[in-house]
Amino acid sequence: MPRHIKIGIIVLAVGFAITLGFFVDIVGRIRSVANSAETEANPFKQPPAPLYAPTDPPMPVKIFFPTAAGESLLSAEQKTIFKSAELTNRAKQILQKVLEGPSNNGLLPSIPMEAKVQEVFLSADGTAFVDFSNAISTNHPGGIQNEQATIYSIVDSLTYNLPEIHQVKILIGGTEKETLAGHCLLLVPLEMDLSITNVPPPPETKDSQAAHAN
Amino acid sequence: MTRFVVRAPLFAVLLVLAAAFFFYSRSIRAADDRFPIYFDDSTVALKTENVNRATYLPLKELVDHLHLPYTDAKILELFTIGSSNNPSIVLAKNSRLIQVNGQQTLLAFPVLREGQQWLVPIDFLTQALSRVTGVEFRYKPGASRIFAGKVTPAELVMNAQALGSITRLTIGTSSPVNLNLKRDATQHRAVLEMGSKPVDPLRERLDYRDRLVRSIAFEDSDGAPRIVIETTDGVGDIRVSKAEEGRVHFVDFLKPGASPEAEPATAPPGLPSAVTKLDPLANKGIRVVVIDPGHGGMDAGATSGGVTEKDLALAISRTLRTALRDRLGVTVLLTRDSDVALTNEARSAVANNNQADLFLSLHIGYSPDKRDSGSSIYVIKEDFAGQTSAVSSDRLFLPWYMGYHANRNVSGGFASTLQEEFHKTLPDWKFPIRSGPIAVLASTTMPAVAFEIGNLNSAANSQIVDGGFQGRIVSTIVAAVERFAAARRSGA
Repeated sequence: MPRHIKIGIIVLAVGFAITLGFFVDIVGRIRSVANSAETEANPFKQPPAPLYAPTDPPMPVKIFFPTAAGESLLSAEQKTIFKSAELTNRAKQILQKVLEGPSNNGLLPSIPMEAKVQEVFLSADGTAFVDFSNAISTNHPGGIQNEQATIYSIVDSLTYNLPEIHQVKILIGGTEKETLAGHCLLLVPLEMDLSITNVPPPPETKDSQAAHAN
Repeated sequence: MTRFVVRAPLFAVLLVLAAAFFFYSRSIRAADDRFPIYFDDSTVALKTENVNRATYLPLKELVDHLHLPYTDAKILELFTIGSSNNPSIVLAKNSRLIQVNGQQTLLAFPVLREGQQWLVPIDFLTQALSRVTGVEFRYKPGASRIFAGKVTPAELVMNAQALGSITRLTIGTSSPVNLNLKRDATQHRAVLEMGSKPVDPLRERLDYRDRLVRSIAFEDSDGAPRIVIETTDGVGDIRVSKAEEGRVHFVDFLKPGASPEAEPATAPPGLPSAVTKLDPLANKGIRVVVIDPGHGGMDAGATSGGVTEKDLALAISRTLRTALRDRLGVTVLLTRDSDVALTNEARSAVANNNQADLFLSLHIGYSPDKRDSGSSIYVIKEDFAGQTSAVSSDRLFLPWYMGYHANRNVSGGFASTLQEEFHKTLPDWKFPIRSGPIAVLASTTMPAVAFEIGNLNSAANSQIVDGGFQGRIVSTIVAAVERFAAARRSGA
């Protein structure tokens, strides 16, 4: 066999071995890369900046939760957040309170425990885009009333306490989903609905609407 | 090693062939097609040529049809339309630049001349010919027909779906048409002739095939619009029935020997199918009820132990279908008759395409509170999408999720009837009527409610799996539908 052919075969063999090495444990490596990206993408595990400053004044808010066997679907519980300068941070604090669940006996948690808020955006026209992790959909137990309670505990808690937010668009896993658990349409932003609660409209609604109109 | 040496010329030849294909593929012609142009009083089908991915029309045939004088100067390679001393249009071979009424205009593709034939791109019609003749040409890019002048084509929408053992093609047109079925059973082909009036299809070809139908396509290359359906040899009978004065046609493909009574899409026994189709409310108040068993497939809905919402909903829906058919003699369709996943749009499409008079979406409830009965009746929430999509009732086109708009009040009426009947049968259970942005109700164009029965999270509710209890629920729903039909009949 000529010498240059031998050299060629050796070079090819070495190249083949290197290529094989690339495939060793490729699934495991991809998984670890994906996992590290996932933990980095969640701002609620390690917030890059605090949601409020020590000097921010406290702000009472009403957080909506499903009632246990009540006539109305939702009822409100009084909680306190801090009035941070950034509206987005106030919205994030309210969502944290919704995720934490109620402390009152007569109320039930509205969101599956494993679900997290991934990001919150506010648009100029007063739409809040809230992006939940997939667990809010996959771990949801189902039921039309139950799904409506989940969605409106989010929508009402945000719109009731922050008059700047007129409507809420719920995203799941970073994308638009048709429904959360098969029933309620999420393709459109949703407005506050107090008819399913036992809470009167917020007193400042009129003023804020007038301000909005002007 | 000699083998490598021998193969080298072979590779070289292949490489040259590939390169040649790359360079010459740009001038490869696609199969020539015929292209109808619909004028006010006539139709001309021109043979088009596809050159360099552009569609070209034969200029001389077009000009002849319009009776325009022209001169073909072979040596100058110029084509002039109009009188020779004051031409209206001048074209030159291989040039995009043309002269129209003394003005220069640029076409999208160059004018071609092949032997005796002149070829012009389609935008020649709008850029040049309509400015000279005053006839407006309307062309949808990608379509293979042109409408000229005051021609108003009937818009055509086709939809096909399998309903039990039959396949139904629904044909909707914006103005009434007469369908004439011609069947060639040996060739497995059915042709629905649509008369001589021009038709503008939304889609030329329906992306649908199943056990009975291979392909459904619109075809009018010779100027005679028709729908061509390739069938399999499993088709026995094809029935055409019309509704809404000829604006909607149902074409049902039946298996051989299938009895009409057993089919969901045909009329109940005792009534000839054509009569019920033409007069949908003939002394029954309602004609078609669509039941939607919630969830299905990967989406099990609520679960408790081994019990899943999807299975329970399907079991109750099947019993309800039989009961409604027997008691009211109406046509009852299920959106799913097996464990399959469906989108909410597909569910409401079954009701919309079959002109249902009532849509019932059946679910089993789940409440985190174990003491709750879990049941509720849902109607769509009015204007749930807020100001972003505020709709005035006089708008011609509504977004898909606004289909509910016209029937919301009637849906509310049926919800109260259903609530009253449930309170009679199950006095201990609460059946609150709620409204919400329910996806499956949003795009239905008939009275529609969704309801959930029981609470899978509650041990006290385990009777929901019991057949006798399900029978009580079914007869309650039948009683509500009966009252609804009676109210319809009396015109309330």
